[in-house]
Amino acid sequence: MSIFRKAVLGAPLCLALLSGLAAAHDLVFPPGEDARFHWAAYEAFAATHDLRGQHLSVDGPWGGIDKQMFESVIAYFEAATGAEVAYAGGDGFEQRLLVGVEAGAPPDVAIIPQPGLAAELARRGHLAPLGAAIGAVMRDDYAAGQSWLDIATFAGPDGAPALYGLFYRVDLKSLVWYVPGNFTDAGYAVPRTFEELQALSDRIVDEGGTPWCIGLGSGPATGWPATDWVEEMMLRLHPPQDYDRWTRGALPFDDPKVIAAIEGFGTIARSAEQVVGGPEGVAATDFRDSPRGLFTLPPRCYMHRQASFIPSFFPAGLKPGRDFDAFYFPAFSAFSGRGQPVLGSGTLATITRDSPAARGFLDFLATPIAHEIWMAQSGFLTPHRGVNHDLYGDPVQERLSEILLGATTFRFDGSDLMPGAIGAGAFWTGMIDYVGGASAKVVAARIRQVWDTLE
Amino acid sequence: MRRLAVALLTLLWLLPVAGLAVTSFRDREAAAETGWWRAPLPETRVTVFHPDPATGRHEAGAWVIEGTAPDTGEVRAFGLSSRAPAAFAVGTTARGRDGLALTVAADGAFRLTVPVLFDQAPRFFLATRAPARFTTANYARLIRAEGFGPAILASFALAVPATVLPLFLAAFAAHALVWIEFPGRALLVAGLVGLMALPLQPALVPLLRAQELLGIGRSFPGIWLAHTGFGLPLAIWVLRSFMRRLPREIVDCARLDGVSEARIFARITLPLCLPGLAGFAVFQFLWIWNDLFIASVFLGGAEIRVLPVWLREIMDSHGGEWEMLAAAAMLSMMVPLAVFLALHRVLLRGLPSGAAR
Repeated sequence: MSIFRKAVLGAPLCLALLSGLAAAHDLVFPPGEDARFHWAAYEAFAATHDLRGQHLSVDGPWGGIDKQMFESVIAYFEAATGAEVAYAGGDGFEQRLLVGVEAGAPPDVAIIPQPGLAAELARRGHLAPLGAAIGAVMRDDYAAGQSWLDIATFAGPDGAPALYGLFYRVDLKSLVWYVPGNFTDAGYAVPRTFEELQALSDRIVDEGGTPWCIGLGSGPATGWPATDWVEEMMLRLHPPQDYDRWTRGALPFDDPKVIAAIEGFGTIARSAEQVVGGPEGVAATDFRDSPRGLFTLPPRCYMHRQASFIPSFFPAGLKPGRDFDAFYFPAFSAFSGRGQPVLGSGTLATITRDSPAARGFLDFLATPIAHEIWMAQSGFLTPHRGVNHDLYGDPVQERLSEILLGATTFRFDGSDLMPGAIGAGAFWTGMIDYVGGASAKVVAARIRQVWDTLE
Repeated sequence: MRRLAVALLTLLWLLPVAGLAVTSFRDREAAAETGWWRAPLPETRVTVFHPDPATGRHEAGAWVIEGTAPDTGEVRAFGLSSRAPAAFAVGTTARGRDGLALTVAADGAFRLTVPVLFDQAPRFFLATRAPARFTTANYARLIRAEGFGPAILASFALAVPATVLPLFLAAFAAHALVWIEFPGRALLVAGLVGLMALPLQPALVPLLRAQELLGIGRSFPGIWLAHTGFGLPLAIWVLRSFMRRLPREIVDCARLDGVSEARIFARITLPLCLPGLAGFAVFQFLWIWNDLFIASVFLGGAEIRVLPVWLREIMDSHGGEWEMLAAAAMLSMMVPLAVFLALHRVLLRGLPSGAAR
């Protein structure tokens, strides 16, 4: 009996300990002190939003360090309004959200990384449309505002289009990461056009090096980094209208244009010389491990194409700008009339359970201060032009922001716009088959077949 | 032959555990670069060093920076370019572009001469050989910074009541099913078998919805009840089989003496069933302790993280850091391992005797 007695006695003790662990968050930057922040807008927000005693639950994909950052932003909302916010956050967000919605207990605010998922929730009536004020912020204050607005506008349960999400935090994809010192040692210059990039890759091969590090591994999502490559190639080989038709399904997946984009990726990923480990290495390496080759001595590779979040997976203790940097994944000079296409993605703040507190929270996320608090601490990009860009903590973040704000054509990550069965399924697995040796034609036809069965 | 098979199986199980254990004590560089079986061997590492330009002084028409590279072991070679980071032997002088000269000694003392000094001094490279190093920093980081404490408390707060509750209910039920005659008993037992065959997945969302209506959704009471419900059929079945093996005469004699049913349960059934109860308790505890699925559904969105959910978050945020993942895995294995080692006799005796019937 003794084990049971101890066990029964132990449970209340554990609960008592647990309840004492919720720690209060302090404000990282004292309001009013650092003049670089938009404190006036913060004070104005505080003056118009009194939510004392209200509780708000927020869920989103950010865990780990990003969670700490977001909670430091939330602390300002709590201080301004008096509301209490609980942010769950972290891996498994999509399942949590879908189960919560099905069980009739969603969070108040959900921060959704896939517009496709948000569109589906809006169609089924699980999202509340946002007011005109939020729409005005995105249209007027965001760089390429109309395109952000269009991505966040969905058909509601009645079929009428409305704005359902506010873009808060953006990831920039069209980036090539490199070590400036290694380029200097070898006498390489940063390529300005895709032709120069190809010439540089060939030169590295000629000199006995390997230009690229690529890894497609990502647990159950293995293959997704390849979809970014194909999207980049689509935007560089063909006009943006073709890209839009492709992500909507109007341009079939096995169209020669798409096959050309897949093969553009293949000239690098399926070459034994262009990429570390050859095609086998590409398929077997985890995407989080793949940039390591940039930092080995001597370097295993010189370039790594990945989105703006990747420095969190670089070795510890590196100094941005000195030990690593990024350049724009360049466009073909042959098609210079099309400008500089930039690929990116972003997270949509949506209201999953309507209340004054939820509305207030979205109003808060639209203020410059909600962006500035995060960007002054660590990796955070925003298309919001009203924020003070001097607050970027390091030169690399500043460079990324310039690329983002200077985009002539901005396009959202296509695989997040396609139906889930394609963008989070057949496209991923198809790319693994392709790297494994299947022909682009066969792979594309197979993905199209899956897409056709969805209609 | 049987011994060989046992030895092979043990090896098969121990090998990955040994790999995890060794990796969890290595630092990030070592874990990423070499396999765990090479951990005890001395290793050569190439590191980059950035001299501090502020320590430079002007001397005979050139800038000189002197200093000692951080102690990373015995320096074997050094270099000026990332392409040939170990091109020069210690003690020699390397001459680079634009009049740059560098000497490095075996203890890491260096002298760098450059004609012009900008706010960033030229970097150089050191190949050092150092004996194998092990560190407990990974564990310290997990326990201090990554929320291991709250997670293990939450796991206990979940697993203990969710083990005790179904066990007691099942003991009552098994007692009644074995020793009390009532109409429909056989049907009940058949229903029980049917419930065991039912997969739990289809029940999740309706159950959660019902709990939300009752106001206990996404909380400890809710998940305790869920685990109780999912665990009961098997628990009753195991205990029923165990009780059927006990001599019926004891219960009959007690009844003739006029002992109440409650006392029979408390004084006779429970003590005699202890091995079966303990065996099932271990079984249920381990399954709840390791469960990720039900915990993510019934505690998802709450601010409570049990160990498997915590472990998944660690995998999410430290995806490429094998040493952190290994340490986290070792930490989460500790309790099941302790429970199993402490109670494996009970488990071996109790469970088969009941379950085999």
